[in-house]
Amino acid sequence: MTNEEIWQVALSEIELSISRANFITWFKGTKIISNVDGKIVISVPNGFTKEWLENKYNAYILKALRNLQSDIKTVSCLIETPKEKPLAHREQAMDAIVAPSKIGYKKSSASSDDVDMENNLNPKYTFENFVIGGNNELAHAACFSVSQNLGRIYNPLFIYGGVGLGKTHLIQSIGNEILKQNPSFKVKYITSERFTNNLINALQNQTIKAFKEYYQKIDILIIDDIQFISGKEKTQEEFFHIFNYLYQLDKQIVLSSDRSPKAIQILEERLRSRFEGGMTADVSKPDLETRVAILRKKSINEGLRIDEKALDFIAANIKDNIRELEGALNRIIVASQLTEQEITLEFVANQLSELISSGKKKGITCKQILKAVSSFYDVSFDELVLKNRKQELVRPRQVAMYLLRSELDFSYPGIGEKLGGRDHTTAMHAFEKISKLLEEDAKLLDEINSLKEQLYRIY
Amino acid sequence: MKLICTQEKFKKALFNSEKITSKQNTLPVLSNVLLEANKNFFKISATNLEIGIEIKIGAKIEREGKIIIPARFLGNFSSNLSGNENMEIETVGQNLKIKNGRTKAIIKGFSAEEFPLIPQKNTEAFLKLNTEVLRNIFAKIIASVAHNEARQELTGVNVIFAEKEILFAATDGFRLAEYVLKITENEINEENYKAFLEKNKSVIIPAGTIVELNKIISNFLENSAVDIIIEEGQIFFEFAGIKMVSRLINGKYPEYKHIMPKSYKTTIIGDKKVLQSALKMASVFADSKANEVVFKIDAQEKKILIDTKSVEAGENSTELNFEVQGETQEVVFNLKYLLDGINTLATDNIVLFVNSETSPVALKELDEKTGQPAENFTYIVMPIKN
Repeated sequence: MTNEEIWQVALSEIELSISRANFITWFKGTKIISNVDGKIVISVPNGFTKEWLENKYNAYILKALRNLQSDIKTVSCLIETPKEKPLAHREQAMDAIVAPSKIGYKKSSASSDDVDMENNLNPKYTFENFVIGGNNELAHAACFSVSQNLGRIYNPLFIYGGVGLGKTHLIQSIGNEILKQNPSFKVKYITSERFTNNLINALQNQTIKAFKEYYQKIDILIIDDIQFISGKEKTQEEFFHIFNYLYQLDKQIVLSSDRSPKAIQILEERLRSRFEGGMTADVSKPDLETRVAILRKKSINEGLRIDEKALDFIAANIKDNIRELEGALNRIIVASQLTEQEITLEFVANQLSELISSGKKKGITCKQILKAVSSFYDVSFDELVLKNRKQELVRPRQVAMYLLRSELDFSYPGIGEKLGGRDHTTAMHAFEKISKLLEEDAKLLDEINSLKEQLYRIY
Repeated sequence: MKLICTQEKFKKALFNSEKITSKQNTLPVLSNVLLEANKNFFKISATNLEIGIEIKIGAKIEREGKIIIPARFLGNFSSNLSGNENMEIETVGQNLKIKNGRTKAIIKGFSAEEFPLIPQKNTEAFLKLNTEVLRNIFAKIIASVAHNEARQELTGVNVIFAEKEILFAATDGFRLAEYVLKITENEINEENYKAFLEKNKSVIIPAGTIVELNKIISNFLENSAVDIIIEEGQIFFEFAGIKMVSRLINGKYPEYKHIMPKSYKTTIIGDKKVLQSALKMASVFADSKANEVVFKIDAQEKKILIDTKSVEAGENSTELNFEVQGETQEVVFNLKYLLDGINTLATDNIVLFVNSETSPVALKELDEKTGQPAENFTYIVMPIKN
């Protein structure tokens, strides 16, 4: 038995004889550092623990240790302060004092380091640190060429794709690249939500004229998450005018959205057609190699040494979202700093087990899907599972079948059974039909996506 | 346990130990104080496992024994005592019976068995500092300690031991205070000090420990010498029957010597009170969040202009005729950091050293006798990036 094993076994025995609070207080951070000639030395974190273990718990400890190794004569304690940290934690060269930021409170709320107040660009987003993979090659190429030929080739540039796949990174990179080439250019990055708020403020304070003039002076306008202007008529109208004005002057416009222009609901037709008028490119989910590359790049930036196998493990298990991928890596970094362990495959698997096993799919049930579908399409739950052929129920039922199959892996006969005792071929037909429609019908895709969002929302 | 002691001593000892108890209830025994009577002394102890304290009180001991009593009850009881009659203290079973003049109380106590043992020093003191000296140092640097726990090492005071001097430093990342204490022979035990230097040169004492120690020594009118002992992971302070032990913070304190400017382009000498009141006035108008104040230092006209403005309040400007040498400058400060620094200076006239709007600015006391800036204390504050 190694010292570590002996101590583990001894601790589990001691734990039985004393209260939990006492156990945690006095045995946290202890370990055996030497075991020679029946003399055991235990390392303890502070003087209080040393006194207590040597004087009060000595008997417990001796008894527990003797059960494992009968020749143990004495136990003593040594205060030890952790000295060397594992290699993974490079000593951060931090200056003792730094200048407070211009407006202190903004720094803490924005969580990002140096967001420029005027153009809102975060300098950490650049083309150099963007990882290119098959999923985003086109979008990256489009963004890059836009940054080289402002307003001339792809105008407007419309980038779309799911959450956490790098849209914001790409479009901010354009702004940063342009500023690098020509600092005098007026670049404005804004989320459509902020745009709307600014517009409302302008209307409220009757400064709408200044608002328009401000935007008309911009050389490149980057609007993130444009889908949020859906349904906001006044915003759409003002945006339309600003858009036209800039477009006419050959100023570059870049937009991002989580869905294609077609799929944005309640968007005025004239805007939709304009969005589609330039270049649209999508970013999709990264493949395994890209994910590994992203992790490697990030860990190098953080100055960490992580086992290749560990990186593979993270990349293989977190597939859908780059933000989650980075989150998982951050989680491991923090955990390893806290416990001061090297980042190995075992460590990573251990740390991420919770994250992976709580994989969302397990959370939902057949009933939840049916309920969500019935409320989404505004048909009653009973009708949905009834055996009839009302026209308005056909689509919701097919969607329900599709979701049962795709999300829960239900068998076709099982699906038929759940939905009013239908034949399994009905279920097969429904699944195939919806799958096929999804490829061409953006509206349906949008419906399915928002259904899924509803289902997986954390309550 | 049975004994008689003076009310004054008991009150004071309890007052000093009560604060060290822990309110968190993971280990309930920590919210108690230990009363212990031995052949020679009566002792009150308390600990929160970060700091431990033992206070001896001169008393007439009739019977030995010990008991632990919830600190809050005993503290409330003793702070309401009046008169100056002696206290008769006695344990009856698990209760503590106290009689003081016409007041009697029986307080429920517990067995002392579970009370943590307070660590004892194994080595002899290598350093003796007067309470007066310590109080002065603590008052000057404690305001600069970081409260944010994100960087553990900054939540303490860094003490660096060198052959001829001891440096006390504190910083929260935006300002830094450093006190240089010259060692004279009667302060150190040379042999022990040398032995200590071989092992250790820099320790970080938790700010909480300094604050509690400062409170205790501030209650002492007479000037007494505090013995200081440092062992692995812990520090001991012993004086006038009081023993205090604290953990030290693990970690590496950031290097700061290189940011202390060697020379300055602009020097300003002025009355501390005048500057203080100008800044207090400015703070009325400073933006409550950004808290910025602009210093326009005019070397030709020999004046400085202190400007603040905020959207909600308006603006304010004060002109001060201070002695300005060197270049004209304009620097933006965080008002709180600047005012904190000025508050720590004790002389009537103070000196401000400026290099540029982006480099550290230093504050020092002006030695009345020599007319030169005092070298033992420096407060450094970073201007706000403009």
